[in-house]
Amino acid sequence: MSGKNMEEKVEQATNSKNISLPVSRVRLIMKSSPDVSCINQDALFLTTKATELFVQHLALSSYKNGSGKETNTLSYSDLANVAEETETFQFLTDILPKKILARDYLKSLEEMEKDDENL
Amino acid sequence: MDGDSSTTDASQLGITGEYMAGSHFVLAQAPEGDEGLNDHEDGNGSKDNLREQDIYLPIANVARIMKNAIPQTGKIAKDAKECVQECVSEFISFITSEPLKLYLQKFREAMKGEKGISGVTVTEGMGEELTEETFTNPLPAGIITADGQQQNVMVYTTSYQQIPGVQQLQFS
Repeated sequence: MSGKNMEEKVEQATNSKNISLPVSRVRLIMKSSPDVSCINQDALFLTTKATELFVQHLALSSYKNGSGKETNTLSYSDLANVAEETETFQFLTDILPKKILARDYLKSLEEMEKDDENL
Repeated sequence: MDGDSSTTDASQLGITGEYMAGSHFVLAQAPEGDEGLNDHEDGNGSKDNLREQDIYLPIANVARIMKNAIPQTGKIAKDAKECVQECVSEFISFITSEPLKLYLQKFREAMKGEKGISGVTVTEGMGEELTEETFTNPLPAGIITADGQQQNVMVYTTSYQQIPGVQQLQFS
């Protein structure tokens, strides 16, 4: 029963006419691109709808790709992994870097400095 | 709006949207580096001093869409939600700029020759980067048109083929 409810929700979200993102905010972000002056109403709607589908796709891909076994939680590292592995999401690799522990980073920094000294 | 200041660093950068060629994006720092995006006084009035709520879509909406997409029993980490929020803004900027680049290229070619400007599909612009089928669902086509004065134009169609006879709206 709950599965059916979820299907309805997903179907409702992917039906063309319903959007759940604020159109004005989408326009603001589009205008932050250089050289953009006017934005047609239909193009704006299309972008908003495509963004919605994108969020669904990203969330679902990350969730499936990620731990999945026990944790049942979508975490940041799932997103970083999917960005690296899936071609579709490659444009996100710059803003989704994989996290490393600070001490590992500091260690590798030290090693780099040692190499510089040795040269 | 989240009062949590433990978000990723991108929230501290002013997004001025500087893009390098070849579809490689870099977030550049705003000129007033120390103002921060959570500054409530918007008295500056300059376009660069955008608040965090201006450059991202509201996290509640984003989180809701994510929740509906994954199986019901799943949970979402808080930093994952914030992160997707940023990805979404990146995505919007990406699909805004990519067809534009392609269009400008064709526009310049057309200006040299006598051929007219054919419709540029957004899927052409996205090309190798995005090949997701969901983007080919039937959605209305949108057109932003140019008059002779080199205003910028984007033509979106919803399928891989061009739609013949699409009406062009003129903005005066």
